[in-house]
Amino acid sequence: MLVQRLRDRDEGAMTIFYDKYAAALYGVILRIVKKEETAEDVLQEAMVKIWHSFASYDASKGRLFTWVMNVSRNLAIDKIRSKQYRVGSRTQPLEDSSAAMRLAADTTFRPEHIGLQEMTRQLNPDQRQIVDLLYFGGFTQSEVAEELNLPLGTVKTRARAAIKVLSKLVR
Amino acid sequence: MMDMQQYIESGILEEYALGVLSADERAGVERVAQQEPAVARELVAITNALNSYAAAHAVAPSSAMRERVLQAWEDSIRETDTTSPTAPPAAPVMAAQAPTPRMAVAPAEPATATAVSADAEGGAVIRQMPAAASAGRTRWLVAASIALLLISGLGNYLLYNRLRQTESSLELAQAEQSRYAATQQAALNERDQQLAILRNQAFRSVELKGTPKAPEALARVYYNATTKAVYVDVRNLPELPEGKQYQLWALDNGQPVDAGMLDTATATGDSIQQMKNIASAQAFAMTVEDIGGKPAPTMSTLTVIGNI
Repeated sequence: MLVQRLRDRDEGAMTIFYDKYAAALYGVILRIVKKEETAEDVLQEAMVKIWHSFASYDASKGRLFTWVMNVSRNLAIDKIRSKQYRVGSRTQPLEDSSAAMRLAADTTFRPEHIGLQEMTRQLNPDQRQIVDLLYFGGFTQSEVAEELNLPLGTVKTRARAAIKVLSKLVR
Repeated sequence: MMDMQQYIESGILEEYALGVLSADERAGVERVAQQEPAVARELVAITNALNSYAAAHAVAPSSAMRERVLQAWEDSIRETDTTSPTAPPAAPVMAAQAPTPRMAVAPAEPATATAVSADAEGGAVIRQMPAAASAGRTRWLVAASIALLLISGLGNYLLYNRLRQTESSLELAQAEQSRYAATQQAALNERDQQLAILRNQAFRSVELKGTPKAPEALARVYYNATTKAVYVDVRNLPELPEGKQYQLWALDNGQPVDAGMLDTATATGDSIQQMKNIASAQAFAMTVEDIGGKPAPTMSTLTVIGNI
């Protein structure tokens, strides 16, 4: 078991971990930071962080994938919220990540994995925008409401609806 | 049960999964999920949905990047293990930090070593990594560079030595070769000359046959009446006693004229020899004389004789 090996500080397990999760983590990180160089740096930081903080992973609270994805996502979001990064990429609109989208479109990850196009077809544009702002943009719901000039209640409703659509696809 | 349905419908589980809740709210959701299987099931479903959405964005990194990232990770943990053995275990620090919603994390944080002192509430060990990793990498690169330089230097030295050996061998071989070529050229010139004599129609061939004293003896003289040149070619002559040498005579109107002494190589038949020029002759003969020859032939040692 990968989790057990990581808990036992088995360094060889990290290569297996990379081969299993790097594509998914890198894809999300790239979607957030939008630059390949930065994404690589963040993935590297995430690997180190995951290794050192592995004891804090509680399997009873969720799957390893969920935990490592959150660690990576938080690092990536920290990165784009840092002052240096904002100065460099202020002019880039959040949705302008066609390179990442193009790369993501034909990449597979797991057998049960459902393609990005399939998922985005099921979400309406409003729902998708909100999920992406929350999940990839590091925005709070209040910030999304402010950004899109919508009532907070509407943002919450759309976010919930979007996730329900996704859940149905996966179930 | 109705309460739980309302709780699920409230949207707080989606917010939990998206990571937009505060630490207190998260703890609350986790507490409820532990007590209520329906909530736990719903939470798993929502999380899986977002996981799939995340996974759908997967981008396979290049194999070069795989090497870089894994190497950097290894360097980083080596660095930590060797330079800060007394550092507090990172895990508890992260345990406090990981479940915290991302908004609680220090918002502006340059990923350099300068952030270490500023971030005092527990992230120090973790934040140090990138800088430590690059220091380790640099050290490793320096060591590798020096090693490569030494290996390269040794390699150059060995190759240079071999080159010099090869050059001196080549010089020897070339000297040997030119010496051989010179010898062969000389021998060839001589043979060409001899062949020219034999093929020249101006030369007349004179058979000198053995006398009863040496019936097996046989030699040949080539005489050019125009140039007066005389060559002798021995086929077979008896072995000479110590201190003796064959002498060639030309007989002109019955008078013997000294035509020169035969070299050892000539007497044994190894080569043709040019003798003294003879103005006029009707016959040639050879006698055995003391080394250096005599003005008049010793008739008792006449070995071969032949008329033109």
